[in-house]
Amino acid sequence: MTTLDSKPARAEGRKDPWSQLLEKVGKHQDREAYHALFQHFGPQIKYYAMANGLASHAEELVQEVFVSIWRRSCLYDWKKAAASTWIFTIARNQRIDMLRKMQRTSAEMPVETEDLWQIPGEYENEPVTSLHRLMSERRVRDSLKHLPEEQITVIAKVYMESKSHQMVADELGIPLGTVKSRVRLALNKLKVILQDQNV
Amino acid sequence: MNSHHPDTLTLMEFSAGNLTEPHALCIRLHLDQCADCRSRVDTLDSLGAVMMENQPQTEMSSGMFDSILSKIDSDDTDAEREVSTAAKAGKRASALQKLLGDDLNGLPWKRQLGDVSVLDISDRFPGQNEQVVLQKLVAGGKAPSHTHRGEETTIVLQGAFADQKGVFNQWDFVVLNQEDNHRPVAVGCEDCITLSVLSAPVKLTGTFSRMLNPFIR
Repeated sequence: MTTLDSKPARAEGRKDPWSQLLEKVGKHQDREAYHALFQHFGPQIKYYAMANGLASHAEELVQEVFVSIWRRSCLYDWKKAAASTWIFTIARNQRIDMLRKMQRTSAEMPVETEDLWQIPGEYENEPVTSLHRLMSERRVRDSLKHLPEEQITVIAKVYMESKSHQMVADELGIPLGTVKSRVRLALNKLKVILQDQNV
Repeated sequence: MNSHHPDTLTLMEFSAGNLTEPHALCIRLHLDQCADCRSRVDTLDSLGAVMMENQPQTEMSSGMFDSILSKIDSDDTDAEREVSTAAKAGKRASALQKLLGDDLNGLPWKRQLGDVSVLDISDRFPGQNEQVVLQKLVAGGKAPSHTHRGEETTIVLQGAFADQKGVFNQWDFVVLNQEDNHRPVAVGCEDCITLSVLSAPVKLTGTFSRMLNPFIR
Protein backbone atom coordinates (compact mmCIF):
# COMPACT_ATOMS: atom_id res chain seq x y z
CA MET A 1 0.00 0.00 0.00
CA THR A 2 1.38 3.39 -0.95
CA THR A 3 1.17 5.94 1.79
CA LEU A 4 1.43 9.62 1.12
CA ASP A 5 3.09 10.37 4.39
CA SER A 6 6.43 9.26 3.03
CA LYS A 7 6.31 11.89 0.28
CA PRO A 8 4.81 15.01 1.79
CA ALA A 9 5.97 17.36 -0.97
CA ARG A 10 4.36 15.36 -3.75
CA ALA A 11 1.28 14.74 -1.67
CA GLU A 12 0.75 18.44 -1.14
CA GLY A 13 0.58 18.91 -4.89
CA ARG A 14 -2.40 16.58 -5.08
CA LYS A 15 -4.57 18.71 -2.89
CA ASP A 16 -7.28 20.27 -5.03
CA PRO A 17 -8.35 23.91 -4.44
CA TRP A 18 -11.63 22.97 -2.73
CA SER A 19 -9.84 20.72 -0.29
CA GLN A 20 -7.43 23.56 0.49
CA LEU A 21 -10.34 25.90 1.17
CA LEU A 22 -12.10 23.36 3.35
CA GLU A 23 -8.92 22.86 5.32
CA LYS A 24 -8.72 26.63 5.91
CA VAL A 25 -12.24 26.56 7.28
CA GLY A 26 -11.34 23.67 9.57
CA LYS A 27 -8.08 25.10 10.84
CA HIS A 28 -8.74 28.82 10.96
CA GLN A 29 -12.53 29.23 10.72
CA ASP A 30 -11.76 31.15 7.52
CA ARG A 31 -15.03 32.75 6.41
CA GLU A 32 -13.78 33.80 3.01
CA ALA A 33 -12.89 30.21 2.21
CA TYR A 34 -16.28 29.15 3.61
CA HIS A 35 -18.01 31.61 1.31
CA ALA A 36 -16.08 30.31 -1.72
CA LEU A 37 -17.20 26.77 -0.84
CA PHE A 38 -20.78 28.00 -0.51
CA GLN A 39 -20.70 29.61 -3.94
CA HIS A 40 -19.37 26.47 -5.55
CA PHE A 41 -21.23 23.72 -3.70
CA GLY A 42 -24.39 25.56 -2.60
CA PRO A 43 -26.05 25.48 -6.03
CA GLN A 44 -25.07 21.82 -6.51
CA ILE A 45 -26.68 20.84 -3.23
CA LYS A 46 -29.77 22.86 -4.04
CA TYR A 47 -30.15 21.01 -7.33
CA TYR A 48 -29.56 17.71 -5.53
CA ALA A 49 -32.43 18.51 -3.15
CA MET A 50 -34.72 19.52 -5.99
CA ALA A 51 -33.94 16.41 -8.05
CA ASN A 52 -34.78 14.39 -4.94
CA GLY A 53 -38.26 15.83 -4.71
CA LEU A 54 -37.37 18.18 -1.86
CA ALA A 55 -38.05 21.33 -3.89
CA SER A 56 -39.83 23.15 -1.07
CA HIS A 57 -37.01 22.27 1.33
CA ALA A 58 -34.10 22.74 -1.07
CA GLU A 59 -32.59 25.81 0.58
CA GLU A 60 -33.25 24.40 4.01
CA LEU A 61 -31.14 21.39 2.99
CA VAL A 62 -28.37 23.66 1.68
CA GLN A 63 -28.41 25.49 5.00
CA GLU A 64 -28.28 22.26 7.03
CA VAL A 65 -25.41 20.97 4.93
CA PHE A 66 -23.38 24.17 5.31
CA VAL A 67 -23.91 24.40 9.04
CA SER A 68 -22.75 20.80 9.22
CA ILE A 69 -19.70 21.57 7.06
CA TRP A 70 -18.76 24.39 9.45
CA ARG A 71 -19.15 22.22 12.54
CA ARG A 72 -17.25 19.26 11.15
CA SER A 73 -14.58 21.01 9.17
CA CYS A 74 -12.12 20.51 12.03
CA LEU A 75 -12.42 16.78 11.40
CA TYR A 76 -11.80 17.08 7.68
CA ASP A 77 -8.64 15.36 6.53
CA TRP A 78 -7.75 15.89 2.89
CA LYS A 79 -5.80 12.64 2.94
CA LYS A 80 -9.01 10.73 3.58
CA ALA A 81 -11.24 12.30 0.93
CA ALA A 82 -11.40 15.15 -1.55
CA ALA A 83 -13.55 18.05 -0.34
CA SER A 84 -16.23 17.39 -2.95
CA THR A 85 -16.55 13.74 -1.91
CA TRP A 86 -16.70 14.72 1.75
CA ILE A 87 -19.35 17.34 1.02
CA PHE A 88 -21.36 14.90 -1.10
CA THR A 89 -21.54 12.44 1.80
CA ILE A 90 -22.72 15.21 4.15
CA ALA A 91 -25.39 16.29 1.64
CA ARG A 92 -26.52 12.68 1.21
CA ASN A 93 -26.75 12.16 4.96
CA GLN A 94 -28.62 15.41 5.56
CA ARG A 95 -31.09 14.44 2.83
CA ILE A 96 -31.63 11.03 4.45
CA ASP A 97 -32.00 12.73 7.84
CA MET A 98 -34.53 15.21 6.51
CA LEU A 99 -36.64 12.42 5.00
CA ARG A 100 -36.40 10.35 8.17
CA LYS A 101 -37.59 13.29 10.25
CA MET A 102 -40.52 13.87 7.90
CA GLN A 103 -41.53 10.21 7.92
CA ARG A 104 -40.92 9.16 11.46
CA THR A 105 -43.88 8.40 13.61
CA SER A 106 -42.19 8.11 16.99
CA ALA A 107 -39.63 10.48 18.45
CA GLU A 108 -37.20 7.64 19.03
CA MET A 109 -34.66 6.85 16.33
CA PRO A 110 -32.49 4.12 17.82
CA VAL A 111 -30.03 4.19 14.94
CA GLU A 112 -28.83 7.55 13.69
CA THR A 113 -28.21 8.20 10.02
CA GLU A 114 -24.50 8.49 10.63
CA ASP A 115 -24.30 5.16 12.40
CA LEU A 116 -25.19 3.71 9.00
CA TRP A 117 -23.81 6.19 6.47
CA GLN A 118 -20.47 7.54 7.57
CA ILE A 119 -18.54 10.61 6.54
CA PRO A 120 -15.09 9.68 5.16
CA GLY A 121 -12.39 10.13 7.75
CA GLU A 122 -14.67 10.01 10.77
CA TYR A 123 -15.11 7.09 13.14
CA GLU A 124 -12.66 4.95 11.28
CA ASN A 125 -10.57 2.23 12.76
CA GLU A 126 -8.08 2.46 9.94
CA PRO A 127 -5.42 5.18 10.08
CA VAL A 128 -3.87 4.23 6.75
CA THR A 129 -4.06 6.77 3.99
CA SER A 130 -4.11 5.15 0.64
CA LEU A 131 -3.18 6.72 -2.63
CA HIS A 132 -6.18 4.96 -4.09
CA ARG A 133 -8.50 6.98 -1.95
CA LEU A 134 -7.06 10.27 -2.92
CA MET A 135 -6.84 9.49 -6.58
CA SER A 136 -10.26 7.96 -6.87
CA GLU A 137 -12.07 11.21 -7.44
CA ARG A 138 -9.76 12.41 -10.18
CA ARG A 139 -9.93 9.03 -11.87
CA VAL A 140 -13.72 8.96 -11.66
CA ARG A 141 -13.97 12.46 -13.13
CA ASP A 142 -11.68 11.57 -16.05
CA SER A 143 -13.31 8.23 -16.82
CA LEU A 144 -16.81 9.68 -16.65
CA LYS A 145 -16.09 11.84 -19.69
CA HIS A 146 -15.73 8.71 -21.81
CA LEU A 147 -18.91 6.95 -20.72
CA PRO A 148 -21.84 6.70 -23.14
CA GLU A 149 -24.78 8.96 -22.36
CA GLU A 150 -27.12 6.04 -21.61
CA GLN A 151 -24.85 4.88 -18.79
CA ILE A 152 -24.52 8.36 -17.31
CA THR A 153 -28.30 8.81 -17.41
CA VAL A 154 -28.82 5.69 -15.32
CA ILE A 155 -26.13 6.64 -12.79
CA ALA A 156 -27.52 10.18 -12.52
CA LYS A 157 -30.96 8.83 -11.64
CA VAL A 158 -29.50 6.58 -8.96
CA TYR A 159 -27.34 9.31 -7.40
CA MET A 160 -29.28 12.50 -8.00
CA GLU A 161 -32.86 11.26 -7.82
CA SER A 162 -32.27 8.42 -5.35
CA LYS A 163 -34.02 5.92 -7.57
CA SER A 164 -33.54 2.19 -7.16
CA HIS A 165 -32.42 0.24 -10.22
CA GLN A 166 -35.98 -1.05 -10.54
CA MET A 167 -37.44 2.47 -10.49
CA VAL A 168 -34.96 3.58 -13.15
CA ALA A 169 -35.98 0.60 -15.31
CA ASP A 170 -39.68 1.45 -14.94
CA GLU A 171 -39.10 5.10 -15.74
CA LEU A 172 -36.99 4.47 -18.83
CA GLY A 173 -39.20 1.58 -19.95
CA ILE A 174 -36.28 -0.84 -20.18
CA PRO A 175 -35.72 -4.19 -18.43
CA LEU A 176 -34.09 -4.23 -15.00
CA GLY A 177 -31.29 -6.37 -16.47
CA THR A 178 -30.46 -3.63 -18.96
CA VAL A 179 -30.22 -1.03 -16.19
CA LYS A 180 -27.96 -3.31 -14.20
CA SER A 181 -25.72 -4.06 -17.15
CA ARG A 182 -25.38 -0.35 -17.95
CA VAL A 183 -24.37 0.33 -14.37
CA ARG A 184 -21.94 -2.58 -14.38
CA LEU A 185 -20.33 -1.40 -17.62
CA ALA A 186 -19.97 2.08 -16.20
CA LEU A 187 -18.55 0.90 -12.87
CA ASN A 188 -16.15 -1.31 -14.78
CA LYS A 189 -14.79 1.67 -16.63
CA LEU A 190 -14.60 3.61 -13.39
CA LYS A 191 -12.55 0.72 -12.01
CA VAL A 192 -14.90 0.07 -9.14
CA ILE A 193 -15.67 -3.44 -10.26
CA LEU A 194 -12.14 -4.29 -11.29
CA GLN A 195 -11.20 -4.38 -7.66
CA ASP A 196 -13.61 -7.25 -7.12
CA GLN A 197 -11.07 -9.51 -8.73
CA ASN A 198 -8.52 -8.79 -6.05
CA VAL A 199 -10.83 -9.76 -3.23
CA MET B 1 -10.78 -11.62 5.70
CA ASN B 2 -14.28 -12.09 4.38
CA SER B 3 -15.08 -14.14 1.32
CA HIS B 4 -18.71 -13.15 0.76
CA HIS B 5 -19.24 -9.49 -0.09
CA PRO B 6 -22.10 -7.25 -1.14
CA ASP B 7 -22.52 -6.88 -4.88
CA THR B 8 -21.04 -3.65 -6.27
CA LEU B 9 -24.48 -2.52 -7.44
CA THR B 10 -25.74 -2.81 -3.88
CA LEU B 11 -22.74 -0.82 -2.64
CA MET B 12 -23.67 1.82 -5.20
CA GLU B 13 -27.23 2.02 -3.89
CA PHE B 14 -25.75 2.33 -0.41
CA SER B 15 -23.40 5.12 -1.51
CA ALA B 16 -26.29 6.93 -3.21
CA GLY B 17 -28.21 6.70 0.08
CA ASN B 18 -31.03 4.69 -1.47
CA LEU B 19 -31.14 1.66 0.78
CA THR B 20 -33.61 1.22 3.61
CA GLU B 21 -32.20 1.46 7.13
CA PRO B 22 -32.13 -2.31 7.78
CA HIS B 23 -30.37 -2.93 4.47
CA ALA B 24 -27.94 -0.10 5.12
CA LEU B 25 -27.24 -1.65 8.53
CA CYS B 26 -26.23 -4.96 6.91
CA ILE B 27 -23.88 -3.10 4.58
CA ARG B 28 -22.47 -0.94 7.39
CA LEU B 29 -21.66 -3.97 9.54
CA HIS B 30 -19.83 -5.56 6.64
CA LEU B 31 -17.98 -2.34 5.73
CA ASP B 32 -16.76 -1.91 9.29
CA GLN B 33 -14.79 -5.13 8.85
CA CYS B 34 -13.97 -5.14 5.15
CA ALA B 35 -11.32 -2.75 3.81
CA ASP B 36 -11.87 -3.84 0.19
CA CYS B 37 -15.55 -2.93 0.22
CA ARG B 38 -14.78 0.31 2.09
CA SER B 39 -12.41 1.25 -0.66
CA ARG B 40 -15.08 0.53 -3.26
CA VAL B 41 -17.54 2.70 -1.38
CA ASP B 42 -14.95 5.50 -1.29
CA THR B 43 -14.77 5.41 -5.08
CA LEU B 44 -18.56 5.30 -5.33
CA ASP B 45 -18.85 8.30 -2.99
CA SER B 46 -16.49 10.12 -5.35
CA LEU B 47 -18.78 9.14 -8.22
CA GLY B 48 -21.64 10.75 -6.28
CA ALA B 49 -19.59 13.94 -5.86
CA VAL B 50 -18.79 14.11 -9.57
CA MET B 51 -22.42 13.46 -10.52
CA MET B 52 -23.50 16.28 -8.21
CA GLU B 53 -20.98 18.58 -9.83
CA ASN B 54 -22.22 17.75 -13.35
CA GLN B 55 -25.81 18.86 -12.76
CA PRO B 56 -27.39 22.07 -14.07
CA GLN B 57 -26.71 25.22 -12.07
CA THR B 58 -29.30 26.65 -9.73
CA GLU B 59 -29.65 30.13 -8.30
CA MET B 60 -29.42 30.75 -4.58
CA SER B 61 -31.65 33.25 -2.80
CA SER B 62 -29.84 36.40 -1.86
CA GLY B 63 -29.11 36.65 1.82
CA MET B 64 -28.84 32.91 2.16
CA PHE B 65 -25.17 32.94 3.05
CA ASP B 66 -25.82 35.59 5.70
CA SER B 67 -28.49 33.47 7.29
CA ILE B 68 -26.06 30.54 7.40
CA LEU B 69 -23.48 32.78 9.06
CA SER B 70 -25.94 33.93 11.68
CA LYS B 71 -26.83 30.32 12.35
CA ILE B 72 -23.24 29.27 12.94
CA ASP B 73 -22.67 32.35 15.09
CA SER B 74 -25.52 31.38 17.37
CA ASP B 75 -24.20 27.82 17.67
CA ASP B 76 -23.65 26.33 21.04
CA THR B 77 -19.87 25.99 20.95
CA ASP B 78 -19.78 23.43 23.74
CA ALA B 79 -22.11 21.07 21.95
CA GLU B 80 -20.05 21.59 18.85
CA ARG B 81 -16.83 20.69 20.57
CA GLU B 82 -18.41 17.68 22.18
CA VAL B 83 -19.45 16.25 18.84
CA SER B 84 -16.01 16.60 17.34
CA THR B 85 -14.01 15.29 20.29
CA ALA B 86 -16.26 12.27 20.68
CA ALA B 87 -15.84 11.59 16.99
CA LYS B 88 -12.09 12.01 17.15
CA ALA B 89 -11.80 9.63 20.05
CA GLY B 90 -13.90 7.13 18.12
CA LYS B 91 -16.11 6.76 21.15
CA ARG B 92 -19.37 6.29 19.33
CA ALA B 93 -21.06 3.00 19.97
CA SER B 94 -21.49 0.96 16.83
CA ALA B 95 -24.92 0.68 15.26
CA LEU B 96 -25.10 -2.90 16.44
CA GLN B 97 -24.34 -2.02 20.07
CA LYS B 98 -26.95 0.72 19.97
CA LEU B 99 -29.55 -1.70 18.67
CA LEU B 100 -28.75 -4.84 20.59
CA GLY B 101 -26.30 -4.05 23.39
CA ASP B 102 -23.12 -5.99 23.94
CA ASP B 103 -24.43 -9.47 24.61
CA LEU B 104 -25.99 -11.10 21.58
CA ASN B 105 -26.33 -14.45 23.32
CA GLY B 106 -28.25 -12.89 26.21
CA LEU B 107 -31.05 -11.44 24.07
CA PRO B 108 -34.63 -12.66 24.69
CA TRP B 109 -34.42 -15.37 22.03
CA LYS B 110 -37.54 -17.29 21.12
CA ARG B 111 -36.92 -20.97 20.58
CA GLN B 112 -38.34 -22.24 17.32
CA LEU B 113 -37.58 -25.68 15.96
CA GLY B 114 -34.89 -27.71 17.72
CA ASP B 115 -31.67 -25.91 16.97
CA VAL B 116 -33.13 -22.59 15.88
CA SER B 117 -34.05 -19.47 17.89
CA VAL B 118 -35.29 -16.19 16.48
CA LEU B 119 -35.84 -12.63 17.58
CA ASP B 120 -37.84 -10.19 15.51
CA ILE B 121 -36.35 -6.70 15.79
CA SER B 122 -38.45 -5.00 13.09
CA ASP B 123 -39.83 -2.58 15.69
CA ARG B 124 -36.36 -1.05 16.13
CA PHE B 125 -36.79 0.43 12.67
CA PRO B 126 -39.90 2.57 12.99
CA GLY B 127 -41.59 3.40 9.71
CA GLN B 128 -39.93 0.56 7.76
CA ASN B 129 -41.92 -2.16 6.06
CA GLU B 130 -39.34 -4.88 6.01
CA GLN B 131 -39.05 -7.63 8.51
CA VAL B 132 -35.77 -7.63 10.39
CA VAL B 133 -34.96 -10.87 12.19
CA LEU B 134 -32.08 -12.20 14.24
CA GLN B 135 -31.59 -15.93 14.04
CA LYS B 136 -29.50 -18.24 16.13
CA LEU B 137 -28.46 -21.74 15.20
CA VAL B 138 -26.77 -23.66 18.01
CA ALA B 139 -23.22 -24.78 17.36
CA GLY B 140 -23.32 -27.89 15.19
CA GLY B 141 -27.07 -27.48 14.73
CA LYS B 142 -29.02 -27.82 11.50
CA ALA B 143 -31.82 -25.63 10.23
CA PRO B 144 -34.71 -27.14 8.32
CA SER B 145 -34.49 -27.04 4.56
CA HIS B 146 -36.21 -23.98 3.12
CA THR B 147 -36.41 -21.70 0.17
CA HIS B 148 -37.21 -17.98 0.01
CA ARG B 149 -40.24 -16.25 -1.43
CA GLY B 150 -38.68 -12.84 -1.73
CA GLU B 151 -35.19 -11.56 -1.30
CA GLU B 152 -33.38 -12.00 1.94
CA THR B 153 -30.24 -10.11 2.90
CA THR B 154 -28.18 -11.69 5.66
CA ILE B 155 -25.06 -10.79 7.57
CA VAL B 156 -23.33 -13.15 9.99
CA LEU B 157 -22.89 -11.49 13.40
CA GLN B 158 -21.30 -14.38 15.25
CA GLY B 159 -19.96 -17.84 14.46
CA ALA B 160 -20.37 -19.34 11.02
CA PHE B 161 -22.77 -21.42 8.97
CA ALA B 162 -22.36 -23.57 5.91
CA ASP B 163 -24.70 -24.60 3.12
CA GLN B 164 -24.33 -25.88 -0.45
CA LYS B 165 -22.82 -22.55 -1.49
CA GLY B 166 -20.01 -22.51 1.01
CA VAL B 167 -19.03 -21.39 4.47
CA PHE B 168 -20.25 -18.02 5.73
CA ASN B 169 -18.11 -16.54 8.47
CA GLN B 170 -18.59 -13.58 10.78
CA TRP B 171 -19.35 -10.38 8.81
CA ASP B 172 -19.93 -12.28 5.56
CA PHE B 173 -22.79 -10.89 3.52
CA VAL B 174 -25.21 -12.97 1.50
CA VAL B 175 -28.40 -12.38 -0.47
CA LEU B 176 -30.78 -15.31 -0.97
CA ASN B 177 -33.82 -15.46 -3.21
CA GLN B 178 -36.42 -17.82 -4.68
CA GLU B 179 -33.80 -19.99 -6.36
CA ASP B 180 -31.97 -20.75 -3.16
CA ASN B 181 -33.17 -23.82 -1.34
CA HIS B 182 -30.73 -24.42 1.45
CA ARG B 183 -30.22 -26.24 4.69
CA PRO B 184 -27.75 -24.27 6.77
CA VAL B 185 -25.58 -25.91 9.41
CA ALA B 186 -23.80 -23.99 12.16
CA VAL B 187 -20.09 -24.77 11.96
CA GLY B 188 -17.38 -24.10 14.52
CA CYS B 189 -17.76 -24.13 18.28
CA GLU B 190 -19.91 -21.02 18.64
CA ASP B 191 -23.63 -20.59 18.07
CA CYS B 192 -24.20 -18.91 14.72
CA ILE B 193 -26.12 -15.62 14.90
CA THR B 194 -27.30 -13.85 11.77
CA LEU B 195 -29.20 -10.68 11.03
CA SER B 196 -31.62 -10.91 8.11
CA VAL B 197 -33.76 -8.40 6.30
CA LEU B 198 -36.69 -10.06 4.54
CA SER B 199 -38.76 -8.70 1.75
CA ALA B 200 -41.20 -11.66 1.91
CA PRO B 201 -41.70 -14.71 4.12
CA VAL B 202 -39.69 -17.88 3.65
CA LYS B 203 -41.31 -20.95 2.14
CA LEU B 204 -40.50 -24.29 3.75
CA THR B 205 -39.66 -27.17 1.46
CA GLY B 206 -38.78 -30.14 3.65
CA THR B 207 -40.61 -32.21 6.24
CA PHE B 208 -41.08 -29.13 8.40
CA SER B 209 -43.19 -27.44 5.78
CA ARG B 210 -46.21 -27.04 8.04
CA MET B 211 -44.28 -25.23 10.74
CA LEU B 212 -43.68 -21.53 10.75
CA ASN B 213 -40.59 -19.48 11.39
CA PRO B 214 -37.61 -21.76 11.25
CA PHE B 215 -34.08 -20.51 10.67
CA ILE B 216 -35.21 -17.62 8.60
CA ARG B 217 -38.88 -17.02 8.19
